[in-house]
Amino acid sequence: MSNHAAALEATFEESLAGPSPGELLRRRVRAHLGLLLGAGVLVLVLLMALAAPWLAPHDPFAQDLARRLIPPVWHEAGTWSHPLGTDMLGRDYLSRAIYGSRISLLIGFAVVLISGVIGSVLGIVAGYFGGRTDLFVTYLITVRLSLPVILVALTTVALVGSSLWMVILVLGLLKWERYAVVLRSATQQVRNLDYVTAARAIGCPTWRIIAGEVLPNVSSHLIVVATLEMGSAILLEAALSFLGLGVQPPLPSWGLMISEAKGYMFFSPWLITIPGLALFSLVLAINLLGDGVRDVTAPEGRS
Amino acid sequence: MPGYRTLLKTTLLAAAVAFTLPAEAGKRDNSVKWASNQVPESLDAYFNNVRIGVILAHHIWDTLIYRDPKTNEYKPSLATAWRWIDDKTLEFDLRKGVKFHNGEAFDADDVAYTLNFVSKPENKSTTQQNVNWIASAEKVEQFKVRIHLKKPFPAALEYLAGPVVMYPGEYYAKVGPKGMSANPVGSGPYMVVEAQPGRLVRLKRNPDYFKESLKPQPKIETLELRLVPDQNTQTAELMAGGLDWIFNVPPDQAQQLKTVPSLQVKSGETMRIVFLTMASGEKTPTPVLKDIRVRKAISHAINREAMLKTVVGESARVIYTQCFPTQFGCTDEGAPRYNYDPAKAKALLKEAGYPNGFEIDLYAYRERPQTEAMIGYLRAVGIRANLRFMQYAAMRDSIREHKAGFAHQTWGSFSVNDVSASTPVYFKFLADDVTRDQEVRDLLDVGDTSVKAEVRKVAYKNALKKIAEQAYSVPMYSLPVYYAYAKDLEFRPYPDEIPRFWEYRWK
Amino acid sequence: MLQYALKRAVLALLVALTVSLVCFLLVNLSTDVATAMAGEGATAETIDAIRTQYGFDRPLAVQYFEWLGRATLGNFGDSLYFRTPVAALVLQRMPTTMILGASALGFALALSIPLGVIAALKPNSWIDRLTLTIAVVGQAMPSFWFALLLMYLFGVTLQLLPISGGDTWLHFILPAIALGYYAAPAIMRLTRSGMLEVLESDYIRTARAKGLRNTSVLFKHALRNAVAPVVALAAVQLGFLLGGSVVIETIFALNGLGYLAWEAISHNDFPVVQAVVLLISLVYIVLTLLADIANAWLDPRIRIG
Repeated sequence: MSNHAAALEATFEESLAGPSPGELLRRRVRAHLGLLLGAGVLVLVLLMALAAPWLAPHDPFAQDLARRLIPPVWHEAGTWSHPLGTDMLGRDYLSRAIYGSRISLLIGFAVVLISGVIGSVLGIVAGYFGGRTDLFVTYLITVRLSLPVILVALTTVALVGSSLWMVILVLGLLKWERYAVVLRSATQQVRNLDYVTAARAIGCPTWRIIAGEVLPNVSSHLIVVATLEMGSAILLEAALSFLGLGVQPPLPSWGLMISEAKGYMFFSPWLITIPGLALFSLVLAINLLGDGVRDVTAPEGRS
Repeated sequence: MPGYRTLLKTTLLAAAVAFTLPAEAGKRDNSVKWASNQVPESLDAYFNNVRIGVILAHHIWDTLIYRDPKTNEYKPSLATAWRWIDDKTLEFDLRKGVKFHNGEAFDADDVAYTLNFVSKPENKSTTQQNVNWIASAEKVEQFKVRIHLKKPFPAALEYLAGPVVMYPGEYYAKVGPKGMSANPVGSGPYMVVEAQPGRLVRLKRNPDYFKESLKPQPKIETLELRLVPDQNTQTAELMAGGLDWIFNVPPDQAQQLKTVPSLQVKSGETMRIVFLTMASGEKTPTPVLKDIRVRKAISHAINREAMLKTVVGESARVIYTQCFPTQFGCTDEGAPRYNYDPAKAKALLKEAGYPNGFEIDLYAYRERPQTEAMIGYLRAVGIRANLRFMQYAAMRDSIREHKAGFAHQTWGSFSVNDVSASTPVYFKFLADDVTRDQEVRDLLDVGDTSVKAEVRKVAYKNALKKIAEQAYSVPMYSLPVYYAYAKDLEFRPYPDEIPRFWEYRWK
Repeated sequence: MLQYALKRAVLALLVALTVSLVCFLLVNLSTDVATAMAGEGATAETIDAIRTQYGFDRPLAVQYFEWLGRATLGNFGDSLYFRTPVAALVLQRMPTTMILGASALGFALALSIPLGVIAALKPNSWIDRLTLTIAVVGQAMPSFWFALLLMYLFGVTLQLLPISGGDTWLHFILPAIALGYYAAPAIMRLTRSGMLEVLESDYIRTARAKGLRNTSVLFKHALRNAVAPVVALAAVQLGFLLGGSVVIETIFALNGLGYLAWEAISHNDFPVVQAVVLLISLVYIVLTLLADIANAWLDPRIRIG
């Protein structure tokens, strides 16, 4: 395996570096804090997304050009009928922000699902079978790492046409490399465990070993990578939307909201601040959750 | 980040203080720094086709004829007089004593060389439509020249007063388009002192600009045009004093910039019109649009007046037929008007068999907030439009290949003030005609080919009326352009969107 | 060592070839090249003429090898939008992006290595927690949002730094921070964990036990060993940064490769898109190759393993 992929992997495995017991304990507590905080915010956002129709005070698509650019309630000109104000088309900003959580989560989960399946299959297959298969997968990973994600995604979306599903598909097909890298080495470790070797020796079918022994053992790694990748996918969508090639209006994606609000940042800064903070908090929560899960599960995974 | 809002508040406060200080660096050294989201890769006026190229061309070079931007009259410039010898021959008397920036004297050889070079197809000038009507140019005397046309072309003078600028023949013969782009030499009010293609152009006042020119002697010493792709960054630079003048500011930002004491904002209308095309022809990908009631419902659903006041900008106007009102032959007389009436739109949809509306893709390529507003209005009557935003070429291809049936389009008519440059493009069975109404086509054909002005007018009027009666498209409005610039700069916008820095000055 | 380097070089070449195929297919599968080339207002006949003239009617494989052959010689054809040779265009824009990438990486390293080292030396101190916070926040912050914030604060409000353009080194400060900040967390984490690992290792303990001075142990032995994976990661990150420059260059009006790519994408100018994607990939491949060889030289275990 070439070294850069190993370095990439290392960023996920840093805490496996044999910490002292005291350090371990402190780290666990801290991890739990991050974990709790991250999980808490994520659950809140999830609830918000699920309960959007009941939470949102208005239809997020309903425009009213006569009531556009109303500032949030904490401004002198604000009003309680639009607690977070309205956007450039007079749509209720709070409602859009609430519905926006659905898009961001959908993108996060869907991209993780696609890329997770691709990456895990490649990683597990490479790690389990080794040899030429491993060489080939390693080579695929290196090719993928060599391609600049944003540029390739932008080009594809620009040529094929951008929509929510296209963005999900393109990101899903591009962002599988970390799963492959991490699961490949995790699988290698599991494969060499005594009872797995034994199972192979008695002629247990491969699929059963993978499903029964490998998968459960690598799942904690999978969860860690998936959470961190989810945050990164949400940010990438925002970057694509910022350049106008992400999710398309009138869907209220947070990335799109930032993009549309950037022209207003000097005079109506709340327009860019609100979706920006929402996006930031969600990604932060997801990353904290991922870090936390890694720190909590890592010692068992290794021993 | 809990402190973020406090931070923003503090910065806002600081910003308010900063804005009260004069940030006009340009005023001190009598220069204007301006920016565009495009700087041509070639400065040779015949080898770029971007708007900013036209603007630069008018500063660096001169044309044979000057078109008064206020009255649209043709007046002398490099030519002092001209006449039609016959349908296909124009003769010009040239001005004596004009010198190019490199000292070369202007005469008939320059005109002949320039026009013969750029009109030759094998020289691959980028802006073919500007020169492909020229057969050849011929020197008669040292200060008399004839232009031979390929076929009668009444708009020739329009082009000779606009994009067709005159080069120093000897120099151009020596350096060619590449050299002209690297070191442009003209006779115009400004000389190029630095040219970084695609990036920066620095111009200096031409102290020897010919006195008889109807472009006044320039007062601003240097002009620096810089590429700043992001509109927001341009605004930031303007507020920070790094730029003195920007244009194409979105309407809302323009409104907000008005509140900055060190700046002022002006707007003007352009010839570009906006309309929705609805494929109702045989091969339409959206059969729902074949129903005239649906098309009428869409026409009634959108509040164009409200859009004009908000997302479009007020210096534009609502149009009721698909052409720009000043274009010859453009009229909305007798054409039905579909006023904003969501109730009626809903009723029409119900009548057409869509009581719960329908879903449709709306294609668009520019002014996305406007498309979004349209989508919002359509949604209110039950039509759920999904935005499909793409580059112009991609959208046009989708329309031509009958993949896109419903599109937010715009058309600038190449600034030609005649309906032949607008409506027929979309209704004369050309590639972009998604309607294919024979009667409309025949009427437009009469308008395009007849030599009698009255016949043309009647034909166009009837064509436009039929189009409106059938609600084949939704004419929306013309587009405005907003300029924002330092308070002490004297500036005046023109409908052709060309800033004329030779007549502006610092107060 | 030489054998290892050769093996890596062959792999790099193979990867480069595959990447070139991806660049080629990316455009040729997702759009009709002839239609896009014909441009606005082209008729079906013009499009057909172009298709025959440029040989787009031939099998894709033939077209690919022809394109690759020309590309190897540095000939990417003419840009459809700029109408100049692609190679010249790319070369002209490259320095800006390289300066931006290098200064962004420089910023990221300058921020993250010291912080990572200190965090490792004093685990669970306030500085460790600060490092962790910076890392977590950095990974969650949209880079364009951060860029706009920087521009607003330092450019418009305080007017300390130039907002746009690339005339002087001052112009690169804000873009380098905006771009580099995103790369910092990963480097910081890796430095920290690398240092922790090395500090726990036997030979450092031995060195300490022998009574070598702490600073000398730290800089002569620990840092050198901890930094090896960071070198590899830095190469990876530089690749990411070059790709990410598309957003930052657009915001700060830097006329580099990223902005060129964005312009080209916007105008369906795929010869340029292909060249830029290929070039950035190649830079990445070469960098990682060099990093691998450098690492193998630093750490003999790699050569054998």
